[in-house]
Amino acid sequence: MNQAHIRNFSIIAHIDHGKSTLADRFLELTGALQAREMEAQVLDAMDLERERGITIKAHPVRLNYTAKNGQQYVLNLIDTPGHVDFGYEVTRSLAACEGALLLVDASQGVEAQTLANAYLAVENNLEIIPVINKIDLPSAQPDECKRQIEDIIGLDSATAILASAKEGTGVHDILEAVVDRFPPPAGDPAAPLKALIFDSWFDPYRGVVIVVRVIDGMLRTKSKIRLMATKQDFEVDGLGIFSPKAIPVDELGVGEVGFIVANIKVVADAKIGDTVTETLRQTTEPFPGFKELKPMVFAGLYPVESHQYAELREALDKLRLNDASFFYEPETSAALGFGFRCGFLGLLHMEIVQERLEREYNMDLVTTAPGVLYRVTTTNGEVQEIDSPAKLPDAGLISKLEEPVITAMVLTPSEFVGPILQLCQDKRGVQKKLEYLKSDRVLITYELPFNEVVLDFYDRLKTISRGYASLDYHVTGYWESPLVKMDILVNGEPVDALSIIVHRDAAYDRGRALAAKMRELIPRQMFEIAIQASIGTRIIARESVKALRKNVLAKCYGGDISRKRKLLEKQKEGKKRMKRVGRVEIPQEAFLAVLKMGTE
Amino acid sequence: MLGLYLHIPFCSAICNYCNFNRGLFDAAVKERYVAALLQEIRTAADDSPADSIFFGGGTPSLLEPSEIAALVEACRASFACTADTEVTLEANPETVSPERLEGFRAAGVNRLSFGVQSFRDDELQRLSRLHSASRAEQAFRMARAAGFDNISLDLMMWLPQQTIAQWLESIDALIALGPEHASMYLLELYPNAPLRDAMARGQWSLAPDDDAADMYLSGLDRMDKAGYVQYEISNVARPGREARHNLKYWRDGAWLGFGCGAHSTRNGVRWKNLSGTEDYIAAVSGGRPASVERRVLSAAERVEDALFTGLRLNEGLDLQAVQRRYGLDFLGQFGAELQPFVDQGLLIYDHGRVRLTRAGMLLAHEIMTVFISATVR
Repeated sequence: MNQAHIRNFSIIAHIDHGKSTLADRFLELTGALQAREMEAQVLDAMDLERERGITIKAHPVRLNYTAKNGQQYVLNLIDTPGHVDFGYEVTRSLAACEGALLLVDASQGVEAQTLANAYLAVENNLEIIPVINKIDLPSAQPDECKRQIEDIIGLDSATAILASAKEGTGVHDILEAVVDRFPPPAGDPAAPLKALIFDSWFDPYRGVVIVVRVIDGMLRTKSKIRLMATKQDFEVDGLGIFSPKAIPVDELGVGEVGFIVANIKVVADAKIGDTVTETLRQTTEPFPGFKELKPMVFAGLYPVESHQYAELREALDKLRLNDASFFYEPETSAALGFGFRCGFLGLLHMEIVQERLEREYNMDLVTTAPGVLYRVTTTNGEVQEIDSPAKLPDAGLISKLEEPVITAMVLTPSEFVGPILQLCQDKRGVQKKLEYLKSDRVLITYELPFNEVVLDFYDRLKTISRGYASLDYHVTGYWESPLVKMDILVNGEPVDALSIIVHRDAAYDRGRALAAKMRELIPRQMFEIAIQASIGTRIIARESVKALRKNVLAKCYGGDISRKRKLLEKQKEGKKRMKRVGRVEIPQEAFLAVLKMGTE
Repeated sequence: MLGLYLHIPFCSAICNYCNFNRGLFDAAVKERYVAALLQEIRTAADDSPADSIFFGGGTPSLLEPSEIAALVEACRASFACTADTEVTLEANPETVSPERLEGFRAAGVNRLSFGVQSFRDDELQRLSRLHSASRAEQAFRMARAAGFDNISLDLMMWLPQQTIAQWLESIDALIALGPEHASMYLLELYPNAPLRDAMARGQWSLAPDDDAADMYLSGLDRMDKAGYVQYEISNVARPGREARHNLKYWRDGAWLGFGCGAHSTRNGVRWKNLSGTEDYIAAVSGGRPASVERRVLSAAERVEDALFTGLRLNEGLDLQAVQRRYGLDFLGQFGAELQPFVDQGLLIYDHGRVRLTRAGMLLAHEIMTVFISATVR
């Protein structure tokens, strides 16, 4: 492969700005897929991704393109995850590229995520071509977009390409620009092998599939490779490229993108960001930027029916084969029985894992309120990381309690600045920067306690800005905070799975709101149910669910006993789906009540 | 002893709360339907003893007395009906006249069940009923004049906008007429009921759940004082005037249902007829069976059904009879699980029987789920 004729690039875009549609057009135009073979948006492979309209995993695809100059080029399109939970994957995907298309919706303009990823691309020294998409829309404002690209991101927008991926307008121009303006990969074919892993997944037939970009040297089948972070050696069973179908090849040279199959059993052995080299002729320096992925958000997952515990573990084992970024360990709750404490990259990641467990493994789950990783210094000087309220030591044993802090960038039309600042203050944020960018856009930078963001920050941001504000964030450190553990008591019994860690000053309001929400969510039962919120031994809120008085249906239509029976069966089923804590039946959603309190 | 149920799926108008198997009246369809009914009854003839015939609907009083006469005659010819067979006709107040009532009586009907629902005109209008309170009272007097000495009136409580006091107005009006039997039902709003839309349009609401419970208790309390005896969750009667036919449903009895959508249970086998009127007519006139979903009950299902239906009766379950008939050690099986209900005064053990208290009847479905072991089908 002629190194000079390779272009590696990705597309940076906000959700719904048309990335998948543009990728589809590339596939069509380069003949990678016949139109009739295509299901809309082929790059989003999992159902979940298509439903949510987001890309979770990065799928590379090789496009063979004959440019106007008559030369053949190989264009590797490296798709990037489109959600802040997967920020690290984005950096690794970008690191595999020389260029990036910055795709902006002509009617929406630049959003926070685009901005954050554009900055990342600049940091990675990528060449950037702005593309203004959806110019066919009546509401398109290409000139405004160009201004934003210059003012907000600081890129020259004179050469921005106007396009409509949906209608095919400008797509050829984009491909020409990719060839002309993105540099070919630099790298030494004679040097020892150095390849960057930017994706991996588990395939039930082939084991782990690693996706790499070759930086230096040559990757060949049957050669012995070493994964540098895990220091493990494997023999390459097979190499291939995605076109987008998997096609076997014998070797991958400098600048090429493809996959390796090497009898690797678990995804955790092939970490994203790790470097592949030859066992016998190792590169001296691994590719920079490797990080161990650390879960950020933690929640308990419990089977609704306790006998499903073993099944749940099996399902988690299988999921983990495919997703090394989530973590789980057994946890026992007095209220919920045996389950797992699970760690996720973020809330979306948590939802995805939960949904996959329910859909693909048919699990009926109770999920507890998500929390973050707190850092506790005990009175004897020991530092512990706490991923669950249940693990928090007694207040008397804590000398210092710290919570993770994020730096959040909110990009918003200026009319919403007031309410957004109020929201950030309510969430205990500290303002870092407030930039009035030209053209009616404001970039608000805040430090915020991560646990507040995990709860309901994003939903509220979207509500108060009528969907216009966008958010990007990164965890940037820890700060000390007067946090307390709040318990919920149902009929006088603390329900461990309902405990949360809150700021002392917010505890009363949170306690009242939570108790009130629980009262709504717990159905009336045969006896009165007391719901209390407490800190230590102090009760800070109470509510009650009055005893049920009526549950009967009278009429029996012409001797239809079967219908009566069905009603009773349905009722019995409904009870089974609730979790029994003491005598009280608590529905699944009540364990997530803290997420559903709305405005307090 | 068999009970015979005849379904008449015709109505002059469709009530906004009703999801029974019915359609609008059509004279031509009615004629073919009655012919099919007669044929189905004759085909099922086996001379088994029977002591009740029940015309349910729909609005059975839309049939001509001559048609009722023919159907009663067919039942008597096909089954060994006792001399005192209870023959009930469900009737809507607006459908009767002295002549028709006399005709029904001559046809062999000896018990009338009027769908009154309420003695307040505003409530009747909200339910889209065709009659008024005064028309219901008039119908009742006409029935008495025609010689009917066994009359039941249906009332519904927890209607849109209804207060407890308004509900008791209907109870008092009923007591003033003095029927032999009364049924009192809580309104059941099924998911797509047009009444829901009407409620939304009229901004009508239902009283809180607790008020519904109070309507039930206070209504029954008033009936007690007037000398009626409650014998089932929703039914009261003067002593000896309990609905013989309906008791079969609650005492694990046997009944054969004729007509579209009719249900039958006999000797542990349960089946249902085709629901569509035309489907039913086509099947019967084509000599094909009208029944679908025929199913032999498992032993467990039969016992469970007997327990939850039996518990609807005021007399409750005779534990020794349960042991004898189904080989079930009731206390051993359910005693522990039912104890909380006993402790709360919802369930009582009394002279070898177990029965619901009134508070327990209101919570019958909570208690009855204890008996359900498995999902059927």
